[in-house]
Amino acid sequence: MTTRLFGSSAHVVTATINKMINHRFIADIVPVLRAGCKRSRFALDCAARRPYSAGMRVALFIPCFVDQFFPQVGVAMVNVLRRLKIEPEFPAEQTCCGQPAFNTGFWDEARPLARRYCEIFAGFDAVVSPSGSCVAMVRHFYPELGVEPPATYEFTEFLVKQLGVTDVGAAFPAKVTYHDACHALRELGLKDEPRQLLRHVRGLELVEMAQAETCCGFGGTFAVKFPAISTAMADTKIASLRATGAEYVVSTDSSCLMHLDGYLRRQRIPIKTLHIAEVLAAQ
Amino acid sequence: MNPVARQFHRDADAKAGDLQHRATVQRNIGLYDAAVATGKARFADWPAGRARLAQVKWEVINHLDRYLEQFERNVVANGGQVHWAETGEQAAQLVVDIARQHGVRKVVKAKSMTTEEIHLVPALEAAGIQAVETDLGEFICQLRGEPPYHIVTPVMHLSRQDVARTFTEKLGSPPTDSAEELTMIARRQLRQEFLTADMGVTGANFAVAETGQIALTENEGNIRLSFSLPKIHVAVVGIEKLVPRVEDLALFWPMLATSGTGQAVTGTNSLVAGPRRDGEPDGPAEFHVILLDNGRTRLLADVEQRDALHCIRCGACLNACPVYRTIGGHAYHTTYMGPIGAVITPHLRGLGDWSHLPFASSLCGACTEVCPVGIPVHRHLLHNRRNATRLNSRWQRLAFGAWLWGMQFTPRYRLGGALARWFSRRGWPAPPWTNTRALPIAPKQSFRDWWKTQ
Amino acid sequence: MTAARENILDRVRAALRVTVPAPAAPTGRPVFPPVTDPVATFARELAAVKGELVASLPEFLKSFRLIASCVDLVPGNAGVREAELGVTGCECLVAQTGSVIVSTRASGGRALSVLPPVHLVIARREQIAPDLAAALALLRQRYDGHWPSQLSLVTGPSRTSDIEKTLVLGAHGPKRLAVFFRD
Repeated sequence: MTTRLFGSSAHVVTATINKMINHRFIADIVPVLRAGCKRSRFALDCAARRPYSAGMRVALFIPCFVDQFFPQVGVAMVNVLRRLKIEPEFPAEQTCCGQPAFNTGFWDEARPLARRYCEIFAGFDAVVSPSGSCVAMVRHFYPELGVEPPATYEFTEFLVKQLGVTDVGAAFPAKVTYHDACHALRELGLKDEPRQLLRHVRGLELVEMAQAETCCGFGGTFAVKFPAISTAMADTKIASLRATGAEYVVSTDSSCLMHLDGYLRRQRIPIKTLHIAEVLAAQ
Repeated sequence: MNPVARQFHRDADAKAGDLQHRATVQRNIGLYDAAVATGKARFADWPAGRARLAQVKWEVINHLDRYLEQFERNVVANGGQVHWAETGEQAAQLVVDIARQHGVRKVVKAKSMTTEEIHLVPALEAAGIQAVETDLGEFICQLRGEPPYHIVTPVMHLSRQDVARTFTEKLGSPPTDSAEELTMIARRQLRQEFLTADMGVTGANFAVAETGQIALTENEGNIRLSFSLPKIHVAVVGIEKLVPRVEDLALFWPMLATSGTGQAVTGTNSLVAGPRRDGEPDGPAEFHVILLDNGRTRLLADVEQRDALHCIRCGACLNACPVYRTIGGHAYHTTYMGPIGAVITPHLRGLGDWSHLPFASSLCGACTEVCPVGIPVHRHLLHNRRNATRLNSRWQRLAFGAWLWGMQFTPRYRLGGALARWFSRRGWPAPPWTNTRALPIAPKQSFRDWWKTQ
Repeated sequence: MTAARENILDRVRAALRVTVPAPAAPTGRPVFPPVTDPVATFARELAAVKGELVASLPEFLKSFRLIASCVDLVPGNAGVREAELGVTGCECLVAQTGSVIVSTRASGGRALSVLPPVHLVIARREQIAPDLAAALALLRQRYDGHWPSQLSLVTGPSRTSDIEKTLVLGAHGPKRLAVFFRD
């Protein structure tokens, strides 16, 4: 709020005050103690389970790198939502969920972004995002920072679990395999939902790869801190991929796809990467 | 970068590019995965088992002083002796002292990560005492002069031919391609060692507070021979190994076995309650337990990560970890490898030198998914990362400070994003990413640019 | 040495001044399916771990010359170290896993059940406990406060898969494990 009205100087003031009252120890220990407090967790689960109904305000959270590098994913998601008669809003102040800093261990640098996210999305009934890892950050790791997030859903999760929809009227005649992005799979528990959506896409042949659940090797800054290991993991994943004979690999996370795509193109392997939103938007 | 981290990078990168190693590991882990799937099918409710184990471990670790004292009382009541070691060096010295007091010349040793941790074999050998590894995998490692590759399967990285070559070279045995014959060669060789050893050294998988028993798990039978034939039995036991009651083992044993190898239970699970009792025809005259701290109390004091002490050393997280599968166990250069190793090693050996381990992870969470006692392993990697950056990350902190500054004000973020896209369209190299991967093809318009047109 | 003890316990107590909340209570649902037919289950599980059920004792004993035994039913003629066959009793058997529980009391000490290359267990069907929990409860009842110095839950013959994950029986302990029911 203060940021919008007064720009960055007010933010410096608030940041300083925050630092003073949020002694690092307290900021770290509160989530641990809170883990014993059931009410907070229950409230979180409750918010996550309230089903969508007409008239609810839906906001888009387009992760920073999707906004800047894969805008077509966001566009596809909007088109699918509109097809389902949902008109989402896009609070333009949004920037980043803070995960890069958080995962690299810089929690104090991530916390202000977590709080900012909560302020920006405060008035909405649901926030929808085409990224399992960002949604996992918001839902599961904001509490580690001592921040209670608003109800936030990954796109396929929103379609299947909140709207109860598995057929979005899409058509995409091609042989496709699905890569289980780690956060979507393990943090958000999404395994069947994306596959249900893909199975209802007309003309689409879905084949399963061996080791679909094995990490692709991106892992955020891991990809540049340990590039040899990261690349070897991509190589392993792509071997499974090629064995399926699929033309496309599809996933809920553009981060995984960016990493795999970079390696596929460098190796001149003619498999294409596509975000699931783009498949669901196709007609 | 400190030398330990540098060596890790070197060795991990070398292994990452080794396609034969990758193929061997993938094959072995494929067999493991199939066995575990079969093993888990025997359970009516695996998650209920995890919850129960988590609860039992929470109970004992969070009241550890009481249970340690109870365990000590009972070992002594059974006729055994208890020693305490604050460090690995102290523990190794205690074993050497016991050996010296009794004129021990040869020790037979069971597979025990704890004895690896305290570098027991070099300490014994420095004191002129022969120490023979009796677990087949560890025996092979000893012949090759290599550390074990994995906490449960020490020679996962070797082929039959590798083993055959080692035996021919070191034992003079005839060349053979058969795993069966190779095992029989080792059996014959080690039988003589068991029969002539003066002392047997084991670890312990569990230590039962209520009865003063230690529980020992194996498939081969070498542990039983190590504590049955020699006249002294010494067990080195980390203080976190305690469980409250013997009945708890009815769940720990099957879940350890299923997670470790996919078996319903491991081949032999023994409970040793002390030296030979009156009326028993054989068994050691003396039984010594050495309770080991060596940094475990540091982990205990870390409230956030205390439950890392619940670990029962099943090895499941190693097998599940895509990084471990890529680089193998030796690259870690420390006793406890894989995900749990990356959690506890900074506590046991210092965060300053070992912070690279928690960073060498893509945080996929497979470790947490498979842990039978419910340790949130990948969350602890995040905790260790946070603690590491507080130690010394001056330049990275500045970089993230700048990044935060950019992200907190939308116009700055949009400018930064436009710059990044401009840069990536140039096709300039951006190592280390562009060493092996192409950069994404940046669009002219961002999503928010498009939204404005709506 | 006692300094080490005090230091360690002091550190433990200091650490435990801050408590960690207990994890979510387990549901109480059974972890294992119930064992409905212990005798049949035991036979099946024993076979699955490559153990043998002996139909005719004299037939089985024919192939052994040197036998060490602590059971009256089978007279021994050799010491533990030379024996081709070790014959022991057991504390009980476990249907759930096809295991036998040997002990220094029931099985003639420590070495007899592990040193000879073949191990024969003489048991009675009434000794079969349905599962591990029942077996441990039984042992507690029998031995609480005065446990034998060693007990082992033995499941099949000795084995290893250390070399290329290939299963080999008889690594260091017995290559064969056989059970004969005398009732």
